[in-house]
Amino acid sequence: MIYDNIEILFVEDSADDAALTIRALIKSGFTNKLHHVMDGAEALDFMYCRGVYINRKMIDHPKLILLDLKMPKVSGIQVLEKLKSDPAFSSIPVVMLTSSNEGPDIDKCYALGANSYIVKPVDSDNFFKTIKEIGLYWLILSQHSD
Amino acid sequence: MKNNDSDELIIANKELAFQNSEKVKREAELIIANKELDFQNSEKKDRAAELIIANKELDFQNSEKEHRAAELIIANKELVFQNEEKERRAAELIIANKELIFQNEEKERRAAELIIANKELIFQNGEKERRAAELIIANKELAFQNKEKEKRAKELIIANKGLKKAEDDIRKLNDELEQKVIERTSQLESVNKELESFSYSVSHDLRAPIRAINGYTRIIVEDYADKFDVSGIKILDAIINNSKKMGELIDDLLAFSKLGRKQVSLSEINMLDLVYAIRDEFVFEEGENIPEFKIGALLPAMGDQSLIKQVWINLISNGIKYSKYKEKTTIEIDAHQTGNFVVYKVKDEGAGFDMEYYDKLFGVFQRLHSQNEFEGTGIGLAIVQKIVQRHNGTVWATSTLNEGTSFYFSLPSISAKI
Repeated sequence: MIYDNIEILFVEDSADDAALTIRALIKSGFTNKLHHVMDGAEALDFMYCRGVYINRKMIDHPKLILLDLKMPKVSGIQVLEKLKSDPAFSSIPVVMLTSSNEGPDIDKCYALGANSYIVKPVDSDNFFKTIKEIGLYWLILSQHSD
Repeated sequence: MKNNDSDELIIANKELAFQNSEKVKREAELIIANKELDFQNSEKKDRAAELIIANKELDFQNSEKEHRAAELIIANKELVFQNEEKERRAAELIIANKELIFQNEEKERRAAELIIANKELIFQNGEKERRAAELIIANKELAFQNKEKEKRAKELIIANKGLKKAEDDIRKLNDELEQKVIERTSQLESVNKELESFSYSVSHDLRAPIRAINGYTRIIVEDYADKFDVSGIKILDAIINNSKKMGELIDDLLAFSKLGRKQVSLSEINMLDLVYAIRDEFVFEEGENIPEFKIGALLPAMGDQSLIKQVWINLISNGIKYSKYKEKTTIEIDAHQTGNFVVYKVKDEGAGFDMEYYDKLFGVFQRLHSQNEFEGTGIGLAIVQKIVQRHNGTVWATSTLNEGTSFYFSLPSISAKI
């Protein structure tokens, strides 16, 4: 597989959430090149060009990362911490996605440098509108800063 | 003159002639006298020689006398000296005698004193003996008391040992209690953590499948609408609405469970400002009654502003919701002071409820109206009650079916400072 010019890295362990989100994004005319990975470990493999991504070019940064918080193995917070502490990736906007506004996660994410935080509501309508708006916002901002 | 002189000369010559005759008479007498004289002279010479001897004798006697006189003077001086000595000695003797007399008196006085002192000594000895006797008795008493004390001390030692043991037991019990408290606290903490993670899981994991149901159903409605008839679409809409409702239920339930754990931080709340702000936050859809707010003088109170805000939102939105079938919506808000509390009132002129079911009013998931009539999760008033109770306040209501409901809640007034 070729992973060139990926603009959005979408990290989501729930296949349903991923399918619905991707469909909603495409349906909303969100045509930017998006790559979906199923967990945090794969997200880091992608970023650091390891494992199946060994042939990817390290300098080929995504413009935006949509990162689910609660994932098995490497959690969204761990991925966020790793990326934001690495000067190579710290400037890439990260939008956190979560099913819940419970727990101390929100503060922690912002403290670690997350750019936005979206709580996925049960009613997908609102969620897709929000993710589109926020995603576009950070995408545009990221491109402008290049 | 010459006559006078010649007369005198004749007289003088006669005189002279007499005197011459006298002289011759006298010369004869003188020769006799001389012869007498010579005799006398030799007599005198004898006598002189005798006188010389006598003088010599006298001289000797005189010198003897002088010698004797000198000796006498010395003897007299000696006598005088001896007399003086005698007198001095006599004076000294007088003094010595006086001294002796004085000393004798002293001795007598001392003797008298000694007698008194002796008497005193005798008395003191008697006293001492009496004291000694008393001391012996006292010593016996002391010895007895010492024995008693020893006995007591032994008893005290035993009692102390008992006390010490009791203390140790208490300490041990305290330690055990403390340990138990620590254990219970840590158990509680872990239960709380469990609850928190349970809430998180519920919120996270329960919502995910519902979100999928909701999302996929929307896809069917959006992409496959042509494959369904009207009632089919209606069913799909029902699935969407129900999943949405389930999400709301989960959110409310979580909010309610969080209330029990949330720290209540009290501060002075300007209630009038808060209620006006809440009123202005309400958004109304087209065709909905815009409520008429009658807001009285709202006294300030002590409370956790974010929680009290939730109380107002729930009560006011309740009033609006239950007035939706009325021609107009009136929400009357007022307050009055009762003792250390301020009582707030939210009154609507909506559907009201039957006071027979009052005890179900504040129960979780308890509803007095059907879902078709008035939508809701049945948790709003439970939240209100829990918040007010956590402020040491109370909440109650009065209602008349079809005429409206008044909700009251009390909060500590500023002067109460709970």
